[in-house]
Amino acid sequence: MTEKKKGKLTKVLDYLKHDDPFSKGVSFCPGCSLELLLRFIPQVLGNDIVITGTPSCSAPVLLGQNNQSWHTLSYFGTLMTGAAANATGLVRYYKKAGIKNTVVCFNGDGTAADIGFGNLSGAAERNEPFIYICYDNEGYMNTGIQKSGTTPFGASTTTTPFGSASKGKNLRRMNLGLKMAMSKIPYAATATLSDLDDLAKKLLKAKEAKKRGFAFLHVFAPCPTGWGYATENTIEVCRRAVKTNYFPLWEAVNGKIRMTKTVKKPQPVSTYTELIKKFAHLNEADLKILQDDIDYEYCMLGGLSVLEGECQLPVSSED
Amino acid sequence: MKPKADVKTKAGSQIKVITGNAAAAIGAKLARPDVVAAYPITPQTEIIEQISKFHADGEMDCELITVEGENSAMNAVMAASLAGGRVFTASSSWGLVFMYDAILATAGARAPVVMVNVNRETPGIIAVSSGQQDMISTRDAGWIFLIAEDCQEVLDLVLQAYRLAEDYDIQVPVMVHYDGFYLSYLSEGVNVPLQEDVDRFLSVLNDQPQRTRLLPGGKLGCGTHGILGGYLELRYKHVSALERSKAKFEEIDKEFHQIFGRSYGGQIEEYRMDDADVVLVGSGSMCGTIKAVIDEKREAGVKAGLLKIRMYRPFPSEAMVAALAGKKAIGVVDRSLCFGFKGGPIYTELKSLEIQLGGSKMISFIDGIANTDITKANVEQMIDTTCDLAAGKDVREVTWVSYPEAREPDSEKTGGL
Amino acid sequence: MSSNEFLKHEGPWSDANDPLMCSDTGGWRTKRPIVDKEKCIFCGFCAIYCPIQIMEMVENSYFSPDLRFCKGCGICAKECPKNAISMVAEGDF
Repeated sequence: MTEKKKGKLTKVLDYLKHDDPFSKGVSFCPGCSLELLLRFIPQVLGNDIVITGTPSCSAPVLLGQNNQSWHTLSYFGTLMTGAAANATGLVRYYKKAGIKNTVVCFNGDGTAADIGFGNLSGAAERNEPFIYICYDNEGYMNTGIQKSGTTPFGASTTTTPFGSASKGKNLRRMNLGLKMAMSKIPYAATATLSDLDDLAKKLLKAKEAKKRGFAFLHVFAPCPTGWGYATENTIEVCRRAVKTNYFPLWEAVNGKIRMTKTVKKPQPVSTYTELIKKFAHLNEADLKILQDDIDYEYCMLGGLSVLEGECQLPVSSED
Repeated sequence: MKPKADVKTKAGSQIKVITGNAAAAIGAKLARPDVVAAYPITPQTEIIEQISKFHADGEMDCELITVEGENSAMNAVMAASLAGGRVFTASSSWGLVFMYDAILATAGARAPVVMVNVNRETPGIIAVSSGQQDMISTRDAGWIFLIAEDCQEVLDLVLQAYRLAEDYDIQVPVMVHYDGFYLSYLSEGVNVPLQEDVDRFLSVLNDQPQRTRLLPGGKLGCGTHGILGGYLELRYKHVSALERSKAKFEEIDKEFHQIFGRSYGGQIEEYRMDDADVVLVGSGSMCGTIKAVIDEKREAGVKAGLLKIRMYRPFPSEAMVAALAGKKAIGVVDRSLCFGFKGGPIYTELKSLEIQLGGSKMISFIDGIANTDITKANVEQMIDTTCDLAAGKDVREVTWVSYPEAREPDSEKTGGL
Repeated sequence: MSSNEFLKHEGPWSDANDPLMCSDTGGWRTKRPIVDKEKCIFCGFCAIYCPIQIMEMVENSYFSPDLRFCKGCGICAKECPKNAISMVAEGDF
């Protein structure tokens, strides 16, 4: 009997040094990227993090019900308007009292880019020592898929539905990650769930950078329920977002940007949108607008980044 | 001018001539907060400037957060408080209502935050002037509200606020109010307590059980969903704590008197009320003027008295009923409006106790809005009108003392109610 | 102080020193993953990408899902580089 051929066990497992503090039966949609992310973070960073959460898709699981919890982490259920300010208060008191801590301020794009942006900006400016993680599912999902500041051009949401008089969201998205990189904070990075070793490294770098001040992670986290794709495709959607430069992976130390993954031959954005129903109504001309926006952002990234090692100048889809 | 409990100057403590804002800043400094959040707004700005200077000169060992907005100020101190820290912040009018969602969250989370609100007009009309509308706009937040009459009381109330908020039996945030412009920028002689006496006054808290705190690895989470019976239980606990704070505030007044030699009477201060026929009910800096006029009226044979409200929330119903029952007529002076009602807010609240007050008649005076001074002449008018009411004459139910155009049609006079 | 019937603390605190809540999410699915032990090369992709993290190592040889909580999303089957996992309708069991 021949012994079966074994592959190498993925190195990502080495990063998962701690237990998963969450109950196994929690109410996230099947295939939810947020569930994967939330379980991933404390397995990498430790179960003694203090995590803050706001009303959002994470709230039904991060926050308890009366006396009972869904997980064993210390948490603080805050409002969207003050999430980063709450985290500020925590870390400042811990500093005064000499209590070692890793505070993770965990927010969706609705909080980070819209209603809670003011205090995110303030906390970054003051260089408060905590990790702010924005999981970007491009909309207010918990309230039923409404548009937010990071929703891309052309996306159909319940407040920007496509119809006879509308092509969906008619505004380009706001690039939150770049905004934060330009705040010159000790560490800012983008990450996603198809590249889990990259995410793990960035989580650890953020924890290290926290010693010098504010760390920000912008995590691309697709939503099968809200975007309209088969639940099995969550990781593939992330992968294609990276391969089309729709969501490039980079990090910035003190404002100096460096690509952490350069896609040598980026695919056209249509290979990404073809998987996702919220873009299904777009024609070629509409997709061109989206493609131009992606290319423009990537050029901006290239212009701002420090070219290191194998980093190349941005490649346009027309090349 | 106004008789008060003997002001004992403890050996070493000083009388300083300082503004109300400086008094608030010194009170905060003496309480030794761990975290202070600072955002400027007229007429509070001097408080945070003073604290910043104390901090820069090493006189205050605290984390000073120069936040980007008042909403962040309250959120930051709420979180620090829930982590176990002693905190301080200050605001006024627009800033106060900008932090409104955080104010509600702080009370709901039972975080023992202490803050100072320097009463300023608005929100509603752009104005940079004094008035209690900001206090009225936030009275239902579930906080304990205390009101100071003069600069000494500002400092003393800040200290008492910590003793009250952080008491294990209470754990409700406390807001100390005082009139902007009249007290914020007015300099008076203030007996500044010694640090060791303040430490001793607050040391009672160290002997109490540790309140619940948010700590790394503690497995506790704050901000759980309140579901059905759980939500009701949380609300009931909160309401019960507010009720308990009345008696606790009386106790604290006695403790304060023991150490510092000053007593204010607890939830309310009764000024020449024992044999009074007519009483004015007021709060804040207007009480100084009212006391002066009452003294003059007494000389003229009018049996007038003042009930000064010090604890506004919870509403000191029992204390007020006990003090006011049997009085012939009561004039309630409001430095704000109660939209939807003709009379002022405190008047409207006191009116709800009409039955317990027996036969006492009551009318509303609205004055001191937007820096229109509550002058001695205004107070005389109020006392005279209240005397008319006591004598059974026809008087208006609601008088805007400085705006005579606000006349009610004749049909809405009290007609001897 | 008041009763502690629903919460142990004066304020809105939940206490994870007490048993955690757990929903029967296994009851949600319409398909379940079946792992072909022979095809499985023990790379662990299914384990790292499973949002619920329920893939368990068996005999250092293959992975097996904890079916009490599997929601049937199909990510493991999709991500397996050897197509060793198939999603089979619940009705067949």
